[in-house]
Amino acid sequence: MKIKKVAVVLLLPALLTGCWDNVDLADINIVTALGIDKTEDGKIVVTVQVVEPGALQLTSSSQQGGGSSQSKPIFVKSYQGETIYDALISMKAIVDKRLFLSTTQVLILGERFCKEGINEALDFMRRNHNTEYLTDVLVARGVTPEEILKIQSDMDAIPAIYIKETAENTAIRAKVKRTTLMELFKEIQNVCNQVTIGQITKVDETTVKTEGTAVFKDGKLVGWLDQYQTRGYLFATDRVKGTVINVPVDDGRMSIEVMHSSGKMEVKFKDGRPSHLSIRVTLEGNIGEYAGEKMFTSPEGVYELEKLLNREIKKEIMMALNKAQKDYSSDIFGFGEFVHKHHPRYWKEVVDEWDDIFSKLPADIQVNAKIRRGGLMKSPLMRDE
Amino acid sequence: MFERLKRRLKLGTEQDSIDTIHMDIDEPLPSNIERVKEKLEKVFSACSDYIQREIVCGEDGSVRILVSFIEGLVDKKILNQDVIRPILNHFSSMRLEGKPARIYQLIMECIISNNEVIETDNMQQAIFKIVSGDAVLFVNGSKRALVVGVKAPEGRQVQEPDTEVSIRGSREGFVENLGTNMVLIRKRIKNPNLKFERIQLGSQTKTDICICYIKGLANEEIINEVRNRLKKIRCDGILDSGYIEQYITDNRFSLFPLVGNSEKCDKLVAKLLEGRVAILCDGTPYILTVPYLFIEAIQTSDDYYDHAFFASFMRILRLLALLVSIMLPAMYVALVSFHHTVIPFKLIIALASSRQGIPFSPFVEALLMIAAFEFLREAGVRMPRTIGQALSIVGAIVLGEASVNAGIASNLMVIVVAITAICSFIVPPLSRTTMLLRFIFLVAANLFGFLGIFCVGISVIIHLCRLRSFGIPYMAPFSPLTAADLKDSLIMVPIWAMITRPRILFQSDAKSNVGIKRQEVDKISED
Repeated sequence: MKIKKVAVVLLLPALLTGCWDNVDLADINIVTALGIDKTEDGKIVVTVQVVEPGALQLTSSSQQGGGSSQSKPIFVKSYQGETIYDALISMKAIVDKRLFLSTTQVLILGERFCKEGINEALDFMRRNHNTEYLTDVLVARGVTPEEILKIQSDMDAIPAIYIKETAENTAIRAKVKRTTLMELFKEIQNVCNQVTIGQITKVDETTVKTEGTAVFKDGKLVGWLDQYQTRGYLFATDRVKGTVINVPVDDGRMSIEVMHSSGKMEVKFKDGRPSHLSIRVTLEGNIGEYAGEKMFTSPEGVYELEKLLNREIKKEIMMALNKAQKDYSSDIFGFGEFVHKHHPRYWKEVVDEWDDIFSKLPADIQVNAKIRRGGLMKSPLMRDE
Repeated sequence: MFERLKRRLKLGTEQDSIDTIHMDIDEPLPSNIERVKEKLEKVFSACSDYIQREIVCGEDGSVRILVSFIEGLVDKKILNQDVIRPILNHFSSMRLEGKPARIYQLIMECIISNNEVIETDNMQQAIFKIVSGDAVLFVNGSKRALVVGVKAPEGRQVQEPDTEVSIRGSREGFVENLGTNMVLIRKRIKNPNLKFERIQLGSQTKTDICICYIKGLANEEIINEVRNRLKKIRCDGILDSGYIEQYITDNRFSLFPLVGNSEKCDKLVAKLLEGRVAILCDGTPYILTVPYLFIEAIQTSDDYYDHAFFASFMRILRLLALLVSIMLPAMYVALVSFHHTVIPFKLIIALASSRQGIPFSPFVEALLMIAAFEFLREAGVRMPRTIGQALSIVGAIVLGEASVNAGIASNLMVIVVAITAICSFIVPPLSRTTMLLRFIFLVAANLFGFLGIFCVGISVIIHLCRLRSFGIPYMAPFSPLTAADLKDSLIMVPIWAMITRPRILFQSDAKSNVGIKRQEVDKISED
């Protein structure tokens, strides 16, 4: 009897589901970056950047030893297919081992691909159980993803890491919108706002730049925001963690370091119709650098400065809003979200034409900046009189 | 299957246990010394260590005494000084008149100056006393014989035990001699309530076994159970307390130890004070303690001698080490073979680069490395001490450097096995258990990944919770939860805060379980 019971317990795991495959780590290709683009004749091109761990260790040890590395730590391969899945699987024709996608650090989307619509194509990423949801998504501007992935960074042996880290850095400066795959899925599924994704451009063979934002409308790429518009957009949508803003002062230049910021967006209603958009941003900052002769020791001086800062930020937000309303007619800010929450009945009526209504609404932007500290100095660096 | 096996084992021991020595000698002592001599010579034929000395003295040789003993077991100096010389002196100088009975009385009461003299009137007992190291005096004409305790001090000195090392606390360890061990315990517990119940086990060896407990502290149920189980042992000889352990354990097929053992005096005394029962066995320094619970494996005597903070920290560390030594290789194999998704990106590159070019699968690699380590360990135990250095050098080179350079094992696997090996030494009572469990977990990990590890883990926990040691749940005080006894479990309170005695050993269900167990034992002995 006892034996039977033990046998039953031992057989139980067979009923459970789990990751069945027993695959050795040495038998997989570790994909660090994925690029998706379309050819002119509508085929999908998938590019993978795969790291060769053995070679990677060789290079890092030879760097220490001062020798030169023989083999490259990464390889980049592209393959065409009808769908992303098809291209990835067919790629086995040219790569040696199974492609392991969970380690993907960045996903680069091509311009042409984005223009034709990302929603359907990204279906694969959602279905596949090996997708890494914290992958950073970027849209390549002016280049193909393949070109981006083929750069040879001299900062990090793996270009994908380099790209991810630059995106991280820029996001901290609020010059690029950082979008992970998970956020992208959420944004795509949300009917109340439009998708935006960070932008990446190639500077030269070893360098990329992540600044600016790609604006989508109904899943299709419609245009771009430059770095200042991006910052205005991020201020309004409460995504700024910190940044540096240059303020033109009468007698010189000044950089203000923004420490905390919070943005609030509302749609004001009048007689059951939306009357205007309201954006309120409050933030705190410090003086980071000042090339001038004024002393900011009196409250009046600081108020003056705060006013200047307010105007500067308001300008950026205005630019971003203008772009979204006039050029792209795409509610990337998510005002729709507010309407959906607070005026659900009205929202149901206008859900299809909300972007047009949004484009025509006037905006009231209020920025309330506070300057808290002036660094280690009270007066500018100059000879005492 | 197990029942059948048990029955067969049972048959085997009973066939062997036919009493071969004393079949024709269970009889009263003859009064004629010639007949005694004849009989003893027959019994001790071909025993070159048997010595008998006949003393004939008195005026007309009327006093005839036979002194029988085994050479080496008896301290000849004491025998001469206390027995033979006084007899010779007495009877040579004195004119004797009287009957043999008076001579016997005289010898017993006035002449022998030894402090341990007992009488016997049974041939079998006399022979038993001779072989256990006493000298026996047969007086012509008397139907009784005198047993004089002149045992030579035997065995090694009390010294520090090698197997259980502690930083603080007594360095005295038990020795092979039962008497010495009893002294060591008695010295620490000056209390008549400390009881030593002596029995003999082994039909051939007649080994002295002693049940030791503190009356009033120990659970009577458990003492009775120990007596019962010991009585049921049928075998030719008990060479080590390990024999007893296997006979009296509750679950004979469990990997986990259900009977504790210790070589350290202070540790054993602490267990007695907690209400446990000790079983001393002549000829081995390892003294058994029952009931033995899981938590005792991670307790050390040092815990109680130092501050409770450190002890608690160390106990948690020990439990962690136990888990690591059981599961680390399995976890590694599961991660590398199945669950690449949960490995952080930078680690996966390190892992993959170390796996590059290894011809074996992680499972085979782990098996090879662990086997190599077990070889080394076993060699270290069996080999003469003087070669130890050479072994450790070879081991370090083979396991560490060479296997990695040759591309047989990956760097990380060497680290994993090394950590596992280190951890396996941290909880010595369970080290053999962990060794076997490690392989079981490894196989499960290779078949089903984490799922397999969890299934085996849960099975092990179920098994642990079902185990009983002398009726006490093995996982107490955690399962069943005994809040009062948590004070001395994983987190330990300071010694001054332990105001109540352990209650686990008196748990209500202990009683019922002991009852069930006893019936089971009876059933086995019936068929």
